[in-house]
Amino acid sequence: MKEKSNKYLIAALLIGIAFHGTSIFFTLESTYDALIHLFFADHYAENWFEPWSYKWYTGFTVMSYPPLVHQSIAILSLIGGLKFGLFTVTIISVILFITGVYKFALLITANKTAAGYAAILAVFSSSFVETLHLFGQLPSIIGISVLMHALPEIYLWLKTGRSRYLLMALSFIAITVCSHHVTPIFGMVFFIFPLIGMVIMDISKERVNSISAVNFNVFFKTFLSLFKRIIGFGLLSLLIIIVCILPYWINSKNNPITQVPIPHGSRDNFLEITSSGLVFFLIPWGVLLILLPYVFYRYYSKRYLFFGLSITLLTILGTGGTTIIPKLILGETAFNILTLDRFTLWASIMALPLFGEFTYRFVETDLKVLIQSKFGAIYHRIIGGVLAGLFLFMAIFTMSLGYFRPSQPQKLKMLPIVNFLNQDQHDQWRYLTLGFGDQMAWLSAQTNAMTVDGNYHSARRLPELTTRAIERLENSKFKGVEGIGSLQQFLTAPEKYSLKYIFSNDKFYDPILYFCGWQRLRQLENGVMVWEKLNVPPVSSILPKVEVSKWQKILWGIVPFTTLIIAFILNIQLLRLRSLKKKAKVIPEYLNFKNSYSNFSNSLLKITHIWSAFLALIVCFGLYVFYLKNDSQRSPKNAILAYYDALDFKAFEDAYRLIDPNSKLPIAQYMLEISVTDGLLGSYAKLEDIETIITNKNDSTAIAKVITNWVTPLEKISKTDYKQLSKRKGQWYLQPDNLSPDLPPDQLYSQNITKYYNQGRRRVTSEQTHHEDVLKQPVLEILSSKLIRYNNSYAIVGEIQNIDNVPADIVLQGTLYNDTNKELASYNAKYDVKHKLMPKEVSSFRINFEGIAWSKIKDSIPKTFNPDEFTPVAFEEQPTKFNLQVAGNVSGTDLYKSVGISALQINKQTITGRLFNSGTEEVTIPQLLITYYDKNKTLLWVDHLFLKDGIRQQRLRHFNYPILQNDSIKLISNDMSNCFVNGLPNKDISDKIVKNRIQNHTASVLQKIEHKNYGFIKVEINNYVGNPN
Amino acid sequence: MKRIFTYLFVLIGLIVLAFSPIQDAPLLIDIKCISTQKIFEANDEITLQFSTSEKVLPHLYYSNNYGSTLIVPTYHNAILSYIIPQKLSRKSGLVNWKLLYKDNSISGEFNIIPKASVNTIETYIGPPSINAGGDDFTMLVVIPTDVFDNPIKDHTEVSIRHQFLSNETNEQIFTKNLIAYKSIYSEEKSGRIIMTSECLEINSKEYDVNVLPNIPTGFTIDYTRNHGYADGNQITTFETSILKDEYGNTVSDGTFVTFFITNKTGHILKISGTTLKGIATAKMIHPDYEEQWMVKAFVNGIAESNAITLNYKSVILDFNISLSENNRIITVGPLQSFMKQLMPDGLEVTLSVYKDNTLLKRYKKQSTTGFVTFNLNGQFLKTDTYEFRIETAGLEKTIKTKLL
Repeated sequence: MKEKSNKYLIAALLIGIAFHGTSIFFTLESTYDALIHLFFADHYAENWFEPWSYKWYTGFTVMSYPPLVHQSIAILSLIGGLKFGLFTVTIISVILFITGVYKFALLITANKTAAGYAAILAVFSSSFVETLHLFGQLPSIIGISVLMHALPEIYLWLKTGRSRYLLMALSFIAITVCSHHVTPIFGMVFFIFPLIGMVIMDISKERVNSISAVNFNVFFKTFLSLFKRIIGFGLLSLLIIIVCILPYWINSKNNPITQVPIPHGSRDNFLEITSSGLVFFLIPWGVLLILLPYVFYRYYSKRYLFFGLSITLLTILGTGGTTIIPKLILGETAFNILTLDRFTLWASIMALPLFGEFTYRFVETDLKVLIQSKFGAIYHRIIGGVLAGLFLFMAIFTMSLGYFRPSQPQKLKMLPIVNFLNQDQHDQWRYLTLGFGDQMAWLSAQTNAMTVDGNYHSARRLPELTTRAIERLENSKFKGVEGIGSLQQFLTAPEKYSLKYIFSNDKFYDPILYFCGWQRLRQLENGVMVWEKLNVPPVSSILPKVEVSKWQKILWGIVPFTTLIIAFILNIQLLRLRSLKKKAKVIPEYLNFKNSYSNFSNSLLKITHIWSAFLALIVCFGLYVFYLKNDSQRSPKNAILAYYDALDFKAFEDAYRLIDPNSKLPIAQYMLEISVTDGLLGSYAKLEDIETIITNKNDSTAIAKVITNWVTPLEKISKTDYKQLSKRKGQWYLQPDNLSPDLPPDQLYSQNITKYYNQGRRRVTSEQTHHEDVLKQPVLEILSSKLIRYNNSYAIVGEIQNIDNVPADIVLQGTLYNDTNKELASYNAKYDVKHKLMPKEVSSFRINFEGIAWSKIKDSIPKTFNPDEFTPVAFEEQPTKFNLQVAGNVSGTDLYKSVGISALQINKQTITGRLFNSGTEEVTIPQLLITYYDKNKTLLWVDHLFLKDGIRQQRLRHFNYPILQNDSIKLISNDMSNCFVNGLPNKDISDKIVKNRIQNHTASVLQKIEHKNYGFIKVEINNYVGNPN
Repeated sequence: MKRIFTYLFVLIGLIVLAFSPIQDAPLLIDIKCISTQKIFEANDEITLQFSTSEKVLPHLYYSNNYGSTLIVPTYHNAILSYIIPQKLSRKSGLVNWKLLYKDNSISGEFNIIPKASVNTIETYIGPPSINAGGDDFTMLVVIPTDVFDNPIKDHTEVSIRHQFLSNETNEQIFTKNLIAYKSIYSEEKSGRIIMTSECLEINSKEYDVNVLPNIPTGFTIDYTRNHGYADGNQITTFETSILKDEYGNTVSDGTFVTFFITNKTGHILKISGTTLKGIATAKMIHPDYEEQWMVKAFVNGIAESNAITLNYKSVILDFNISLSENNRIITVGPLQSFMKQLMPDGLEVTLSVYKDNTLLKRYKKQSTTGFVTFNLNGQFLKTDTYEFRIETAGLEKTIKTKLL
């Protein structure tokens, strides 16, 4: 008998390749993981046998992820580039998945048509579409696909005991483990154990001739008789799992994951966080949800009993944090490390054979007959149409999710950045990307330059990263205060990692960069802004590396690919043998266990109907709740929420629609008013949460107290607004806010300013800068500095003056020592200093010693995150002296100084006043530096205040600064002998340039205040201009 | 695996040993240096010759300031000749050599002097900017080198020329320890020093050093304004005289000057400006109530100005308050300026609501076409009697009324 090709399988393959093969070009690059795998592949392409990569996290080992998929992409990249490799491997994975499902389904159903249906359904299965087109988890897909190929072989080995099958099974398992380490481990538990159970059932059945006669006794006896094969297979596969990626296990053992777990949506409570519920439950299950009764009914039949248990467990584990059960089963640690979405993926894959079987029965056999006889042919067709429609809808919906709700920023052209890094030795420093999303991996793959960030969080090494639940610095704004806190530690002391360039694709980060002392260099053609930091030394030419032994490197480089080749040869061999022998092909044993598809259970049909109705009800209810929540004008609360939401997403037209039409505010005027409000809150804030309290409501008007919390790059802002609402024709509208009517005096005015330009290298050359082109470092003078203990933290405060003739960018680094001169902490001045000083300008400064500044980082980080908080643990760790290093570099940017204080009122609690901007630039974020002096006018403390709103030209802006209360201040040291400017002792400098300095010159113009600790204050102004003219 | 390697290694070792020649018993061989020249010029052909009684070919250990190497001899007629490669003979300096032949090694030294002509002049100067006044200096370091990049021999004359304003000077210095250097002090004027050097008729390229003005000294300030009324709208411009250092140089552009304004209530306001051609300018908006300002400017720790006093006359002498709509709308105005014109938009009016002398709420609003309207909705202020204090332009009015 010549075997016919299964036309369903062929169709599935053709459709699958056409469908996925074309769509990956539009989806894959914006998935979460694909580009990470591409980066790994790039590493192998350049350096096959060297597992250490310097490009991320100041160096990490690629032995932290099984290499096969990456190496395959790398090999293919030699033919047509990395992306060619990626897409080719993806298409191969699609083929493997479809054939894998077919094989698995055939094994389960023993019916080729049913298996063919399963293969076709697999093509559009929403969990597969999601895993590939939304998550880009290639290794995971390949792992499970190959595992499914292994299942029939395992079955046959156990059943027949022919070593050929064992060999095949093991070779498939080897590929699986080399592709994805988690799949074979959990695959053992969830796929192979139930399979073993099924084999035992089958053999038992053969022994007693009927499945109903199989009891525990028979089952156990069969188990004992198969014990050798089972154990043999188990041990060998365990050996393979260990040996094939031995370096991975060694690496995991040497570098256990000690990091703070990163929150993952799959661990959420799906009922609370519905978006996670959608992505990690509804989408992967898709139409299968309707068929759950069928799936469970079938898997709980005696033959598949163990599959039933397995899929139950998978289903429960996949529900994440919705119930407490998954946490109880897995334990706290595993629960926090594993991403639970994979359980749902496996469950949905396990259900696929039965989905195929159901479809087969529905379309061709008993179920069709049953429905048609019970409800008529038309009903059958309608139901079929509805199911098919739902199924396709889920596939299309999943596919388009990445289009409508992009998880990534717009695709960036990397070439300008790559060119920038190649120019002028810019790759001698580390860089950081901001707002690139997972595309940062693609940039890393293209450049030789290194970044402190990275995109494979299991490999993070720097304590600044591992002690925080921060996935990447790159998207830190999405992690709230903690994310920004982690980022600013890198920005404040970038010298530590030779971080000099930042590519910012998100305006949000601009203020923090500016106030940490960074300056804009230029905007690249792709719109990315380059920021640089002065006074950062280049990366040293010899970098630390964790060396592994040579045999590990060789094993890692050779074995995974060898498994692929062996499997290939085995398969070819098999085909050749079959065609040579020319005898009728042996029918696989599992095909002998056919199910009868002639008598679809009536009650199962009933239950499925009831279940479907129940599901439909839930969906309707969900939609209704969704409508209630989102009908923006149904209640004042909804209107407020919708309004703030629209503002947060800068959808001003939507916001305008919620403004009372009776207020006669034209849209043009509204847009104009919105557009003139710049500032920290207006341009750089992200709404974190909002609470609306309706304080007063009648039929037609309401007053709402709106408490909003905003995350800005600089600090968390809490704001309380009062909004008036009116009801017009049953819809609630907001009353527009009043705009300041202040008119500036001048229509056109001029200002003369000094501008600077630094030529850099005057000659166009790639040589090192000629020494005559190197500018002298501006001379600064530390006027005063002292070590202070303020409440529970330490800080160095003081004043610094630029005594040169050119503007200076200043970097202040303070180091603390204890009595035995042991270095305790080192950090740079962050917000509390003007980083750019004009000639002769003075700035107060304060250097805080935040978490990472301390040598004993682990001890110093408080449980709840607050970057400023620190309490030294041991008494000998108390700092008693300090060293202050100041460096100046010529800088011609960010020198806007035209803001003054035009009014001031002081009481015991607050300082209020007005700032006046007399210049020609709009100040986006004004900052006040407040210096506190004691009664004798000696400096004690420095504080700052960011104003929420900007100041337009010739306009005023109110400020309100709460005077520090209840603080304890203690002077630890005011010994200035260890103060250095540009490496020279401060004293020598002060003796030389301003010999006859008028001490405490401006003491006569300090502002007096009433306070128990302080006598006077000084207010300085620092301005961030977001959009320089 | 490791063991196999060990066996292999031992085996190969044995084979090698089997072919090794049998050591001769040491013979006394007489080797003498017959080269006498002790001084060579760079790039000379240098050959060290030794007479020898036997044909042996010992290595010569050759060491100069760049490093050490071994040289292989040629043997001819009982003479060993060591030809020093050009790469080595081009480098000037003391050379030590040693013949490596068993125990009776002989050693010696010779000198390679640089060529007597200059090919390039390496020049370093720094710092590239100094302060005027004669205390500050920059240093010019000249290293004339020959065609093989050897520094010229000591006591070679180097002439240094520099130009500053109308002066051009030419001085001779001599190289010592490979370099020639000179400190060039600034003069009292600021400007640019251009300098060059010459050695053995070869001239360097042009170098320059900027002499920047020294720190400023005392100065005066003045102001200009359109009128002396406190209208809260116009702008007063403060200006310094030309800031100069003690030598009469105008200070560098961009010098930061802070103007401190002490007002009637003793609060200290502040504006700043940077100099252009020595003059710093700063602008301040007029106060919106009668005011007296005492202004003084500082260059912190370095120089200060005289103090000047400005008076601002009040523009609003009185204003009306009217109540409407259950007294819940309070209208302030018309607010009129000094010529009875309506105040320019933006005058701030503060309404403070008191109940039993405790502040309940403070509203701030800015005037539009001379009026300000406060709309007191029922949210904060229930029906009751309140005291309202209305402040604007330094005036305050109080009314007590019942809100309905």
